[in-house]
Amino acid sequence: MNLLGRFTFKFPSIASPYPEVERFRERALVFILLAAFVVLPVMNLLGVIEPHDLNRIGRYLCFAIAAVGLDLIWGFTGTLSLCHALFFCLGGYAMAMHLSLAAGGGDVRPEYNNIPQFFFFNNVESLPSWWAPFSSLPIALIAALLVPTLVALLLGFFIFRNRVRGVYFAIITQALAWGAFLAFSRNEMLLGGTNGLTNFYKPLNTTNGWILGLYLLTVTTLTLVFWACSHLTRSRLGRVLIAVRDNETRLYFTGYRADLYKVFAFGVAALIGGVAGVLYVPQNGIITPNVMRVEDSIGMVIWVAVGGRGKLWGAVFGALLVNFMYSALTTDMPGAWPFIQGGMFLAVLFFPNGIAGLWERLEDEVRSGGRVGRLLLGVAFTEGFLIVDKLGFLPDAGSNLLVAGVEVQYLIMLGGAAAICWGRVAHTAIPLCGLGWLIVTEALGMMPSSLDVLKYLVVLWTFAVYIYLRWADRTKHAEGLGLGARILMAWK
Amino acid sequence: MSRSTLQPDTEPVTSVDHILALENTTAVFDGFKALDIEHLEIARDELRVVIGPNGAGKTTLCDVISGKTRLAGGRVVFDGTDITGWSEFQIARRGVGRKFQTPKGFGSLTVYENVDLALPGSHGILDNIWRRPSLKVKNSIFEVLESVGLAYSAGMKAENLGHGQRQALEIAMLLISKPQLLLVDEPAAGLSDTEAFGTAELLLRLKGHHTMLVIEHDMDFVRHLDAEVTVLNEGKVLAQGPMREIQQNPEVIEAYLGR
Repeated sequence: MNLLGRFTFKFPSIASPYPEVERFRERALVFILLAAFVVLPVMNLLGVIEPHDLNRIGRYLCFAIAAVGLDLIWGFTGTLSLCHALFFCLGGYAMAMHLSLAAGGGDVRPEYNNIPQFFFFNNVESLPSWWAPFSSLPIALIAALLVPTLVALLLGFFIFRNRVRGVYFAIITQALAWGAFLAFSRNEMLLGGTNGLTNFYKPLNTTNGWILGLYLLTVTTLTLVFWACSHLTRSRLGRVLIAVRDNETRLYFTGYRADLYKVFAFGVAALIGGVAGVLYVPQNGIITPNVMRVEDSIGMVIWVAVGGRGKLWGAVFGALLVNFMYSALTTDMPGAWPFIQGGMFLAVLFFPNGIAGLWERLEDEVRSGGRVGRLLLGVAFTEGFLIVDKLGFLPDAGSNLLVAGVEVQYLIMLGGAAAICWGRVAHTAIPLCGLGWLIVTEALGMMPSSLDVLKYLVVLWTFAVYIYLRWADRTKHAEGLGLGARILMAWK
Repeated sequence: MSRSTLQPDTEPVTSVDHILALENTTAVFDGFKALDIEHLEIARDELRVVIGPNGAGKTTLCDVISGKTRLAGGRVVFDGTDITGWSEFQIARRGVGRKFQTPKGFGSLTVYENVDLALPGSHGILDNIWRRPSLKVKNSIFEVLESVGLAYSAGMKAENLGHGQRQALEIAMLLISKPQLLLVDEPAAGLSDTEAFGTAELLLRLKGHHTMLVIEHDMDFVRHLDAEVTVLNEGKVLAQGPMREIQQNPEVIEAYLGR
């Protein structure tokens, strides 16, 4: 697209040796950027998107930023870090300290009114000296970026220099996350204990102006972080990082200090995690030690795995998809979430490259002559249908007509999309359309009941696995699965 | 350290310029002496072949020189510098290049990128963020790829290469790094006769302007190289000399056929 050519703001990660594919990626990128920077804010101002929905999109974009950082260390250097949520929280806490000081409100008695409320609960009557500098925003921001980075650099230096890797590194980072969780949970840390830090300036996540502003700030930061990381990973340094993942031993004999490269990647990952935390806290309104648990770090690993490790946009997409799925599904059935999360882990076994892998297959199709125009039309049809449906122009007859537990109008929608993009791209396009549908509907607060989503997902993933098996030429399994899918469709 | 002091007292000081000298070098694994070399020297620009039965310590010899295995005793002197106890990356930067027995390269990178990573003097982290290869460097990479017959596969991912091509890629990575000493561990392993012949020809072309230490099992391959041969057995140097002599040596025959 010519539009991109006029800017020097290039994303190297969309570069491809095949011009058709590169054009495809450029179009997709322009589409996404337009949607994020223009369409969503305008829809918000028009009142189509509720403030609290936009706020949630903003928070999930913070997770996406953190996921980009994790992808750098896990996806590119192949080093599994299980303390990424800790770096996220270190950034978050520094910001939260600033916000609690700015809010004050310790007590009705005026002499205590300039300290955060929890101090009063902990019988601390004057502000600890190390808290004082955080009343300045620049100092709080610097601390938010420096602390996680320094922790990662120090830890990484001593661990990697001793050639600790793989599972051992994962266990050490896990221990660190657990230790930090225990420490932050204690009241003696003077960081609010298990209650964490809260009671910030209320309008931050309640008034539309602040929400929109913070959303735009988050989108801009994500774009910048993504841009920087896409330069980093496409540089010679990025290739060394990939070489660490492929064959670390060989790299030492080529003259590289692979350990220092890993320290660097770990440090940058932590820095990005800290940035994400800074943006998350004002939008979330609270931060507690619960967010730095090992489980949360594993959750982040799942985002990246689902999206596709080693691909930056895969990390972003995975973070958004998993979180919107989480918020859609836990509304009605919070108990089911661990099973779904486990199911995603199983799905990753089938799709080691995650959704990014599916997308690459789609690109292969494009390269060998599949029609993208039709695909985009199919997506537009799907999303248009949902928006029209949401606006209430369609009769609500569908809610009684269920096929395989899915409202019939959504089946019509899917069928329509499939018919439009049928052909060589359809196999990969349908699951991708479905996932896109899931994110968009949930993000815009248009999700039907979560039971629908679940059944929809089952059908979707069956489809996806079926396609995978056909691609991998395991036709026998595919036939069995195809039968299973048909039974599932017939099942009510 | 002057070169003459490196010569052991028992040997007469020769005029040959030695690039590598191992003195009383021992390597021990769990109490087992895998390597026990009293004295081994390799002259500059020499092609030396090391042979020996399985478990003779051939790969351990490579490990010791390239820094993978720590010495239990003795020392390794490379180009006038005592490199005993140095790390792999230090030794590699000092000018010792190594080709591994099982060539893998860096699988998700292309052939071109693999060779590019092996360029000498390009190991700093921050430099590598901004480094763009000059046209001259690009050409030199293609020249090297041409010389090993991989120029047409430059854009292919290394993991998609066949075994013979991976061997060639490893050699290309060695060549571009312009090492003073090449440690070539079993270059003919897993190659077809034609490929092995090609590899031997390649090594012969390098002979005379590179110092090479080649470890090999394949006797036809060794005969083709027609170089000075060192025979290792049970970690010790058993015999040394031209291939023709070595084949007549009763001790060597005993080591290969005996037991």
